[in-house]
Amino acid sequence: MNSHDLLLVHTGTVIEEDSLTLAQLCRACGVHADWIISLVEESIIEPQGEDIRLWRFSGASLVRARSALRLQRDLGVNLAGIALALDLIEELESLRAHMKTLGHV
Amino acid sequence: MQYKDYYKIMGLSRDASKDEIKRAYRKLARKYHPDVSKEKDAEAKFKELGEAYEVLKDPEKRAAYDQLGAHWKAGQDFRPPPNWNEGFEFRGGGFTSGDAGAFSDFFEQLFGRAGFHAADREQFGFHARGQDSHAKIYIDLEDSFHGATRNISLSTPEMNAQGQVQVKHRSLNIKIPKGIKAGQHIRLAGQGSPGAGSGQSGDLFLEIAFNNHPLYRVLETDVYLDLPVTPWEAALGTKIKVPTPEGNVDLKIPPNSRQGSKLRLTGRGLPARVPGDFYVVLQIALPPANTEKAKAVYQKMHEELDFNPRQALGVYHQ
Repeated sequence: MNSHDLLLVHTGTVIEEDSLTLAQLCRACGVHADWIISLVEESIIEPQGEDIRLWRFSGASLVRARSALRLQRDLGVNLAGIALALDLIEELESLRAHMKTLGHV
Repeated sequence: MQYKDYYKIMGLSRDASKDEIKRAYRKLARKYHPDVSKEKDAEAKFKELGEAYEVLKDPEKRAAYDQLGAHWKAGQDFRPPPNWNEGFEFRGGGFTSGDAGAFSDFFEQLFGRAGFHAADREQFGFHARGQDSHAKIYIDLEDSFHGATRNISLSTPEMNAQGQVQVKHRSLNIKIPKGIKAGQHIRLAGQGSPGAGSGQSGDLFLEIAFNNHPLYRVLETDVYLDLPVTPWEAALGTKIKVPTPEGNVDLKIPPNSRQGSKLRLTGRGLPARVPGDFYVVLQIALPPANTEKAKAVYQKMHEELDFNPRQALGVYHQ
C-alpha cells in the first residue's frame, strides 16, 4: 500500500429505504433475479413500487435476502421456512433491543 | 499444523452411520448457524462443523480421513504420513461445496486446495464483473452524530493466478455520513472483488453497527439515557444538567415524576433524514440510611406520610 492509499478517503453511498434496484440486489447477493422474485412472492422481502421494473429494495431487504441465502444453502430450509425463521429472528432481535432500552442486559 | 477430530466436532463415534452424520449435522447447523445463533463463537463453530461434514459425508474423504487412524488427538501437531491418500480420488479436486476460503490448513493439507479455474477462464478471454463483498463495521454513536472518517481493516479471500484462495488484508479510510443508523449500508462502488479479465470490480457493502456506549442506548434513531435522580428531585421537580451526544442540556423534571418515567427531547436523537428523539429515563436512587440523621429523616417520613405502595395488593399498614 502506498502513501496515496493511506490518505485516500472513500465516500460511499448510503442505501436508504428505497435505493436498490432488482439488478443491484441480485449482484449484491450473487444470485439470479428468479430467486429474488421468489423471495418477493413469499413476501420475505418487500420492494417498493408496483411494477418489477420499478422495484426498489431497502438495506434491510439486502440483510434478509443474504440471510435467506445462507439458511437455504447451509440448512436446506425452504422458502416458507425461511420466511418464518426470519420473522422470528427479527422479533427476537427487536425484543432484545427493547430489553436493552429498559436496561435489562 | 493441528490435527482436527471431525468426529468429535460433530459429537459422533467413529462408526457413525451416514444417516447419523446427516442428522448430527442438521442439528448442530441449526444450533450454530450465524444467522440464528447468539453464541459468541457461532461463526467459527459453524465453519468447523461445515468442514467436518464436508469430509464425513463424502465416503471417499471419510475413508481417507479414517486411514489416518484413531490415535490422533484434537489439537495435536499433525503431519500427514507419506502417501497416505494413495488410491483415493477426490472428485472436484478438493472442495465440492461450501465456502472455499473457510476451511482449515488441516483440511487443505489432506484434500488439497480449491479447484476454481479462474486462471483458465482468463486464458480463454473470459470477462466477468467481480463479486460484491460485504462487511459489518462497528462505529461509535458519536460518529453518527457528527460524521467522521474511520479506518477499517478488511480481510477478503481472493483467488490468485494459480486458482488458490488466499486471505488478503487491506485497510480503507471510510467517510461515515452524519445520521447513519445501525443496520444501514454504505455502498462503495468498485471496492468489491476484482473482476475476471477486463470485467469491472464488484461493490463493497458495509453494514453499520454501533459499539456499546457507556451512557447511551440506541433504538433505531432514538437515543436513551438512564438518569439517576434523588427522591426529592423526582417528587418536587427541578432542573438538571443532562449529557447528550451533542453536549449538555438543562432538563426540567416535572413534579411527581415516577420511577422509569421517560422524558422526551424531540429531535435530539440520531440526526437522520427524519431525526430521532432523545429519551431520559428517570432512575430514582434511594439515599442509604447509614447515619443517625438519615435514619431520623426516614423515620419522620414514616410518621408523617400516609403512603402505602401495596394498596393494590389489598395489604394494609400494620
